Amino acid sequence: MKLYDYILSPSCYKVRLMAALTDVRIDIRAVDFHPGAEHRGAELLALNPAGAIPILQDGDLILTESSAMLVYLASKVDPRWLGGGTAEEAARVQQWLSFSHRLTASLGGARLHEMLLRPGDIAGLQAQGTAALRELEAGLVEQSIRGMRFLASQRATIADIACFPYVALAPDGGVSLDPYPTIRLWSRAVRSIEGFIEMPGIHRLHDLKPEPLPETSGF
Amino acid sequence: MKSRTTGSWTPVALSADLPVGTVIPARTPTGPIALWRSQSGGVSAFADRCPHRGMRLSHGFVRGEALSCIYHGWSYAQAGNCVRIPAHPGLTPPEAIRVATRQVEEGDGIIWIAADQSATRPPRLDGLAPLRSLTACAGIAAIEAAAGTDASPGGIVGFANNSQTIRMLVASLEDEQALIHVLVEGDASPPERIAASRAAEALRRMAEHIQRKGIA
Amino acid sequence: MMIPNAMVDEWYPVGLFSQLDVSGRKTALMGEPVEVGRDAEGTVRVTSADGRMLPVCVRYGHIWTSLGEPRKPLFAIPEADQLGRRLVDVGVVRVRCSPLRAVENFLDIAHFPFVHTDILGAEPHTEVQNYKVDIREDEDEVWATQVKFYQPQAAKSASGGVTTEYMYRVPAPTCSILYKTCPPRPGEWDVITLFVQPLAEDLCDVWPWMALFDDETSMTDLIHFQQTIFVQDRSILENQIPRLLPLDPGMEIPTRADLTSVAYRRWLKRHGYTYGAQLVAQ
Repeated sequence: MKLYDYILSPSCYKVRLMAALTDVRIDIRAVDFHPGAEHRGAELLALNPAGAIPILQDGDLILTESSAMLVYLASKVDPRWLGGGTAEEAARVQQWLSFSHRLTASLGGARLHEMLLRPGDIAGLQAQGTAALRELEAGLVEQSIRGMRFLASQRATIADIACFPYVALAPDGGVSLDPYPTIRLWSRAVRSIEGFIEMPGIHRLHDLKPEPLPETSGF
Repeated sequence: MKSRTTGSWTPVALSADLPVGTVIPARTPTGPIALWRSQSGGVSAFADRCPHRGMRLSHGFVRGEALSCIYHGWSYAQAGNCVRIPAHPGLTPPEAIRVATRQVEEGDGIIWIAADQSATRPPRLDGLAPLRSLTACAGIAAIEAAAGTDASPGGIVGFANNSQTIRMLVASLEDEQALIHVLVEGDASPPERIAASRAAEALRRMAEHIQRKGIA
Repeated sequence: MMIPNAMVDEWYPVGLFSQLDVSGRKTALMGEPVEVGRDAEGTVRVTSADGRMLPVCVRYGHIWTSLGEPRKPLFAIPEADQLGRRLVDVGVVRVRCSPLRAVENFLDIAHFPFVHTDILGAEPHTEVQNYKVDIREDEDEVWATQVKFYQPQAAKSASGGVTTEYMYRVPAPTCSILYKTCPPRPGEWDVITLFVQPLAEDLCDVWPWMALFDDETSMTDLIHFQQTIFVQDRSILENQIPRLLPLDPGMEIPTRADLTSVAYRRWLKRHGYTYGAQLVAQ
């Protein structure tokens, strides 16, 4: 399985994270997205005419939508990540998978503007991002009243993996996460899942490791 | 500066939103704070700035009974004194290195910060239980206008939603914003709690509309 | 517009030379809009908003200009001309922080275990051993030498942990050069730079650039390694209070590990390089 990947792309990170959590080995093919704009070059346009990454290739299967990649990895290796024990849960997974595209457009757009100088209406993107975060916060509050820590269920599903990256990186686009206590709890729960990996901009949870004994002996 | 609604105490967060071994940011009338809970459960409130390089301590991490800065790992005990500088493992940090602390109290599921050294105790909630906190881009006047009632002396704004009465403990923030803690009856059922959460969202929308139009 | 500051006569990066096409590039320098373009002969031109032609120099992969009158040519990096080095245009990253805070963070090693965890540092190897710092009067540059730090993965070409040696050099208020031991070529130094374009006192475009001995790693991997490191720093830089670099000694507390930063701040103060600095505590 080959992932056309950019280390700073939250959408690519969704796939790397899902692969890490399900213990799937993927071959990373690094794409010079910035500054090289390689995703708009002939080789990658042949795989994805939309000129976007990630692209996941497995045999003659070519996927260009990150949500589909999450479904593929989960179905292949560990279907528990698909959620969907009940009609309600199945619908919630789809609800948040679709919602995740709004996060990409708003928070992702603001991040590209503020960090990598892409054009855009920054005030509008940030306002849409804030609206999406409020909706996510409200949804997570209701889940917690139902006794559930994650978006669709008691355990994490692909819906959580689809929403987590752009939310965690919202401050990169100048959108504060400070006003969302329930998102903070959820984010911590996602980051505490066995096998979780970071991407640049998401720091290690150092508190998960005990205080190391000091080493003063020099090298 | 005192909050108009809750005296010298500001309700900054719900106890449930600060689990053991975590740190969160909070806003008070006298500046941003890093609110953290040690492994043994004690809550502390620090000025949200590491004295070393100015990094926000609310981005840090809690290990045991100390809060560490994410930038260089400098650690501070609950009294605010620096206890560890990882770059110099053999060094006992000088007493002079410390973070300003704030008086903090926890009761009825709410964490309160005092504006100054307060001899009084924060107000009680009388059988009400906090449900969630939300920030509104609206001042207290707009929230009162949306609810159709004034805040009580204890800082609580109540409004009716169908057969339910929903109460909000409101603290004003700078820039015409407010922090709303939604309170429900202690024995409220899950459907009632979800209804209260949705009603508070609707009230916030109305208050923000009033604020934008300058109606309040 | 006049900037009452000695920094106005310095050179600043305003774009990658390799990325400059006919459409040109609109950007800013110290609050003033500037436009980078090429004339009919292909010569690079930089113009200010009031139509002034600004001085131009193309070096180290970047286009450099100044709003004032530079008293000396752009600082030299002799290693950049050495045969066999790969020259890496890392590309721009914008940061909402003081340009001086961005440089100071680049000079710091003590944050490696916490911010660049398992790459440039890892607990329990957090100790910063003594190193040497001086302000070299002849060159008028800040230098730190004999800096050593344990690193789990010091470079893209490194496998496994090593103690890496560093030298830091500040030849201009918003530029720094790091010399780092080079795993494939003992005896040589890899060159990693941080060129900072001050857009405003609290906003900058950062242009990392490298000249490395590494024939194995792909160019894209080299770019991504450095972007990873810098974006890990970015969330720190955007959350320091105050945004401006405090030059008042009472405002922040340095230790022995921070001697490079102490010298950098002293040097800035001495020259009146205060664009992006805060002189008195507020």
